Amino acid sequence: MDLFEAPVIAIVEDDEAMREALSDLFQVLGLPCHTFERAETFLAAHESGVFDCLITDVRLPGISGLDLLQRLKTMGSTMPVIVVTSHTDPNIRSRAIAIGAHAYLTKPLASDALLQHLKSAVRYDFSPGDGYGGNADD
Amino acid sequence: MTDMAWRRGCVDNIDLSANTEANELADLASDSVIVFDLTGNIRYWNPASETLYGWPAIGAVGRSIGDMSANTAVHITQWQSLMQEGAWEGHVDRRTLWGGRITASVRQTVRCSADGRPRDVVEYGRCAGKEPPLSSALDIDVHRLATASWEFDISGVRPLIEQIADLFSRGAMAELAQQPDWTDELLEGARIVDVNERAAHLVGAHVGRAGMIGQSASAFWPRVGRDVLAELIVAVATDHSRGIPRMRKLACDGVLRDPVVTAWRSEEGGRPDIVFVAVNGATDDDRSFWYLRASEERYRKLIHHLPTALLQVDASRMAPVFEKLKNTGVSDLNAYLDQHPELVEFMKNVVRITEANQRAVALFGGTAPADFITPVAFLFEASPQTPRRIMLARFEGKRNYTEIMKVRTFDGRLLDVQLSVTFPAPPERLDVTLFSLEDITERLRTERQLRQVETDFTHAARVSMLGEFATSIAHEINQPLSAIVTNGETSLRWLSRDNPNRAKVEQLTTRIVSSARHASDIVQRIRGMAAKHEPARVSLDLNDVIEEALLFVRHDIEAKSIHLSVRLASNLPVILADRVQLQQVIVNLLVNSIQAIAQGCRPVRKIDLATRVDGEGAVVFSIHDSGPGIPDENLDNIFDSFFTTKETGMGIGLAVCQSIILAHGGSIGASNCSDGGAQFRFSLPVPPKAD
Repeated sequence: MDLFEAPVIAIVEDDEAMREALSDLFQVLGLPCHTFERAETFLAAHESGVFDCLITDVRLPGISGLDLLQRLKTMGSTMPVIVVTSHTDPNIRSRAIAIGAHAYLTKPLASDALLQHLKSAVRYDFSPGDGYGGNADD
Repeated sequence: MTDMAWRRGCVDNIDLSANTEANELADLASDSVIVFDLTGNIRYWNPASETLYGWPAIGAVGRSIGDMSANTAVHITQWQSLMQEGAWEGHVDRRTLWGGRITASVRQTVRCSADGRPRDVVEYGRCAGKEPPLSSALDIDVHRLATASWEFDISGVRPLIEQIADLFSRGAMAELAQQPDWTDELLEGARIVDVNERAAHLVGAHVGRAGMIGQSASAFWPRVGRDVLAELIVAVATDHSRGIPRMRKLACDGVLRDPVVTAWRSEEGGRPDIVFVAVNGATDDDRSFWYLRASEERYRKLIHHLPTALLQVDASRMAPVFEKLKNTGVSDLNAYLDQHPELVEFMKNVVRITEANQRAVALFGGTAPADFITPVAFLFEASPQTPRRIMLARFEGKRNYTEIMKVRTFDGRLLDVQLSVTFPAPPERLDVTLFSLEDITERLRTERQLRQVETDFTHAARVSMLGEFATSIAHEINQPLSAIVTNGETSLRWLSRDNPNRAKVEQLTTRIVSSARHASDIVQRIRGMAAKHEPARVSLDLNDVIEEALLFVRHDIEAKSIHLSVRLASNLPVILADRVQLQQVIVNLLVNSIQAIAQGCRPVRKIDLATRVDGEGAVVFSIHDSGPGIPDENLDNIFDSFFTTKETGMGIGLAVCQSIILAHGGSIGASNCSDGGAQFRFSLPVPPKAD
């Protein structure tokens, strides 16, 4: 990954309000992102290397977030996946980690925590409150 | 028929007739047929004789035919001729019961016994002369003129009779006044030896003729006319010339026109204490005033003790008012009363209560029926609109009117009563209206309590159901909250920049407000489900209710990987229902389906939910799941309370569903689908469109 180029983030979230909220969050950080309503549409758009990180909800119509993660791993994808959900069920959490999720976060999200995990996932520094991201000092 | 049998009995007793058949023939003869022995004692007296001479058989048999004669000298001559020649034909003058005389054309024949000796005399007779004095009487239906005949034995009160007669003859009225009860005493002691069927019919009531014989006169003689009977008995019992009848008129009242009581003493030797009494009088129908009076008294008693509060109301003053209104072209009294409310006030004060029974007294906490003898106004103090509705019903010619109203009792209690008004029919010109009042305060209270229990129960079931969805509900609310938090943080980031992006912050804030509203809506719906509220019917679209209900279970459905298909008919007619209760039914049915699928292990996991309008215009909801279906043996009792196949749960869910749907006038049913799984459906009626 080019350290001087902002990572491209994919978001799979069926709730429209949340999808837009995340999209806006990345906009203020200057991070380009693509949003998807369902796992199926994401898979169709997914090509190796297009996205640097995936943030997905667990509960989705059709293919669930965890199934998506499983598929990506099966496909041999190394793209980091952050699972974001309302589920506080520890079983789901451990299953997500076992499959290979980079992080498991529960809603409501604390944006700092999300960015922290995102930073470690893509190894890219984007200081909060800064301009349009792109801080190359990391 | 019975009259006849009785007369026949007399003839049989004297063993003179040839056979029963002959008696019957004589009974049916239109001519007078009389049989008397060689001393003139009457042995048989047929019904035609009763009609011709007025004397009833019971009083004539045993008397002398000579006494019947108006002219004793002529009678003696004629008798001698008969005895010499064995037959006689000609005119005789006879005394009639009603005090006049009648000329009869008779043919008398002496019958002889087997040994040729004279045995008795048979007389055939009919009215003679061009101006028969009985012509008018003959025109009257014999039955209606029929005499009520009595035979009394007064031996038991002979001393009293002598004493009273003595007082009468001395004119000792002061002493008589000291024995005010002598008539009662006398009639109590006078025993009924026999009565005819007519008398039994008039006053015997349920005991009949057989039951009257041997009883005291006072047990049956109507109260009106007791003095008359007692005085007559005294007169004839102490009269030295037997067989001379004494007559008294009775007060003319009611059905019996010009009733006359005739009494005389038996002329037979050895029966000095036998008094015959006959009551005559034309009736307009086959009852007598006494009969009516007795029946009326029974009726009064019955009404008085009836376990329903009854008020007899005289509304006669309103009849001409209504008639006048109709004559002046008023057809819509409702509209008229809008213009003239004073007419209602008028009615409340001119329509009066004339009688009240015991139950009414008790209902109103009064002391006596007299408390009620006032205008009806007081009845309606707590229900001022009722009189108007009663007037409308009366005006429209209804036979009765019923409503539930409130009344204030004399002791200040407020009661719920079911008022039933029975109006008189046109031919009953008396215009007696009846109000019956049934205290339903307790019933209404019980019904209210029952409704409360039902509401509480439904609510309890709902709250327990909500508990099962705590996770699902939390998830639903968490969703907009998450968006709010992220949007808020994003806004702060925009604001903390060197050049804050005001437009962006505005956009985000708008989204925050929208998400917060959404969260609030969800809370509102949950609160609605959890709240205890009185069921209220509002116009609503069943499809909307389904969308709201899905809120509670959507998470559960998705968490259990169940595919939900919803096919809602567009333009469903609006129904009248309680929103929350319908949600409860739909959620309950959804939960059933979810649990059935979760319990089963079929590969297909789906719920089909649909709405439609059926052939009768009702709105139908159906839900079909891919679960294992309902065992056939459970299909019949699946809606019973506490029926459950689950290890947890009370089994009240479906029972509550059924009670809610039935309360909405709908129906609910369960079945198994041919392709597996259970199907539940309910239908709700669509109210007629208001104009």
